[in-house]
Amino acid sequence: MEQVLCDLITALRGSGVRISPAETVEALEAAALVGLEERGILCDALSVVLAKSRTEKEIFKDCFDRFFSPDGFIASGERPPLPTDPAPRAADSPLSRMLLSGDPAGLSMAMREAADQAEISGIYFFTQKSLYIQRILRGMGVEGLDRDILRLTREDPDASQQKAGALRAGKAFLFEQVRDFVEQQYVLYAASAREAIMERYLRDMKLSNLEQRDYERMHRIIQRMAKALNDAHSRRKREARRGVLDVKNTLRENLAFQGLIFAPRWKSKKVNRPDMMVMCDISRSVEAVSRFMLLFLYSLNEEMARIRSFVFCSDMVEVSHIFEAYGVEEALMRLQKGTGLGVGLGRTDYGQAFRDFKETCLERIGRRTSVLILGDARNNYGAPETDILSLIHQRARRVIWLNPESPPFWGTGDSEMKRYLPFCTLARECRSVNQLERAVGYLVRDG
Amino acid sequence: MGLDLDRKFQGIEDVRKGFEDVGYVCSRRIATTLYLAHHLQKPILVEGPAGVGKTELAKAAAAVAEMPLIRLQCYEGLDESKALYEWKYGKQLLYTQILKDKLADLLEGTDGLAEAVARVHQYDDIFFSEHFLAPRPLLLALQEKEGAVLLVDEVDRSDQEFEAFLLEVLSDFQVSVPELGTIHAVSRPYVFLTSNNTREMSEALKRRCLHLYIPFPDAGLEREIVRVRAPGVPERLRAQLVAFVQQLRELDLKKVPSVSETLDWARVLLILNARDLGADLIRDTLNILLKFEVDIEMVEGRLYEMAGKAVR
Repeated sequence: MEQVLCDLITALRGSGVRISPAETVEALEAAALVGLEERGILCDALSVVLAKSRTEKEIFKDCFDRFFSPDGFIASGERPPLPTDPAPRAADSPLSRMLLSGDPAGLSMAMREAADQAEISGIYFFTQKSLYIQRILRGMGVEGLDRDILRLTREDPDASQQKAGALRAGKAFLFEQVRDFVEQQYVLYAASAREAIMERYLRDMKLSNLEQRDYERMHRIIQRMAKALNDAHSRRKREARRGVLDVKNTLRENLAFQGLIFAPRWKSKKVNRPDMMVMCDISRSVEAVSRFMLLFLYSLNEEMARIRSFVFCSDMVEVSHIFEAYGVEEALMRLQKGTGLGVGLGRTDYGQAFRDFKETCLERIGRRTSVLILGDARNNYGAPETDILSLIHQRARRVIWLNPESPPFWGTGDSEMKRYLPFCTLARECRSVNQLERAVGYLVRDG
Repeated sequence: MGLDLDRKFQGIEDVRKGFEDVGYVCSRRIATTLYLAHHLQKPILVEGPAGVGKTELAKAAAAVAEMPLIRLQCYEGLDESKALYEWKYGKQLLYTQILKDKLADLLEGTDGLAEAVARVHQYDDIFFSEHFLAPRPLLLALQEKEGAVLLVDEVDRSDQEFEAFLLEVLSDFQVSVPELGTIHAVSRPYVFLTSNNTREMSEALKRRCLHLYIPFPDAGLEREIVRVRAPGVPERLRAQLVAFVQQLRELDLKKVPSVSETLDWARVLLILNARDLGADLIRDTLNILLKFEVDIEMVEGRLYEMAGKAVR
């Protein structure tokens, strides 16, 4: 019982359901309470204890069904083709005997035991399938079966030949069942592991190298990241520090009670929600990366209340309203194509972009505003307008520049990064999700 | 009392019956959860769309267990002084005024300041004793001698700080009052937390609870609910109205009708003395089920088709 539940939990964990040891113990208790007689009730009970959100419940249901699904020996009622003279003899190996006498329960048991021995729950890659099939077959004693077949073919009488034929058919049947079983287990245990490996791999990959098929996955990773950022931020920052008396306020409030301190007032600390302005370069040179920058920006917009987003190529426009009005796909497409923005997507001009920014919202930058710039600072040899950035730097709480190029390339060719550097509180290379996450971590820490 | 309760929670079927007796029809999953919660002594975190009877479940549990229901409604900014306890500052100050005169008697015969302070120290803790403690819902639930049903309603509206603070109460059924020490539950309350999923609850909180998701009921269960909660609605009409509501839930509406709205509608139809569901009747009473103008317009467009299906 314990072993079975633990295997189920391994499978669940693999599929992304987080289960603590305490919950494992509880699952055992719950199973003991409701008993194993009724599958539906057991499923309900375990689902209540183990799966703690709606998606987890769906995963659980799926896993539960797959885990407790009968294998081929029992399910289909299929039987190994029986020989005309099914007389198992003492000389036959146990496996041959089971095949000959048609014992599905015995075969199923033997297979599961062999699978446990082979530690099937450790299966990760599809290339391991044949290995496990071999291991299980060997565990069930397929060598004895082979010996029997060899012996019987060497013997002369017809009956022996027939029996050998039956055993050969039985072996084929056996192989098929074991293969199906391994297939099932692979789906059960490995699906999730694959997901985890894929994610780890994607996180370190250069954003510009991503392919279309990975976008979906990337979306999810980035959304999760933006959510984490927001969770840390939007927590109510007003913590009443009980126990610290606010003398000034108390005296003032209690004047009405003839100076008797009747209703004490306590000090509280107020931390502000973040105030952010983000500028994102969407020109050709950063096209591959900008999609993810925009995606990140979109997720931030969804999560944060006070954020204003701008995109620029040569002119800068505010796009917060586009993020609000459209779904993620639509919004990103509009931004990348420049539909309805009213700006031409011409040559990148950071100078012009900064001038536009100065005109429209330099005043809005206060000492609590973080300014985030996403771009490669490649200015086509135009005027860099560093004094505007310097102005922004003076007014804002901080200026963070995330550059998709790595530092050795900064300042080469038409890159003005070196000139902008003095006016950035922080400038980071940012071309994989992991680097983006680190930058976000910095944002949160000092939020 | 305790024996009685154990009898009611003897098996999953008993739980289901017990709840039906007080007018709450539960599915097998809900019954299983209640059964487990009783035996494992764990809080239940109930999630689901609005109006499927999450709060009602706690009320029914209180009725079944014959215990008082203590309710804590969560909102943004709720803190421990409103949820757990507060000192009665006014009373404390009043007492200091009254006892001012007493102070002279008390300090009589003391020699010097140090001795006076030492004497006062013998009495110092009286102002932070239980006499001056105003218990709030959480503390009340722990203090209830015969046990209680504690309902922490819409816990997703509270802040994360409050959620963290709930952990101690939920895992050990105890709270710490710095001035008094730790207060343990006299007898363990049944705890229900409800959430509308406006935000994800923390892992730590979820780990300490059984998690129950209540979806909208299927047609069979909903008919049963209408039968129990709105008795008097003829069987034919009951089947028809439930079929209609179930159809509504399939549509892409701004707000789909909840179980409580189904019940309201059933009662309205009862008052109108309706025998059969017709398109006109539905049009006149649609505003009970749907609360947005766009939804009503959308449904009115295909009313005949839907009513026809429901009647069949």
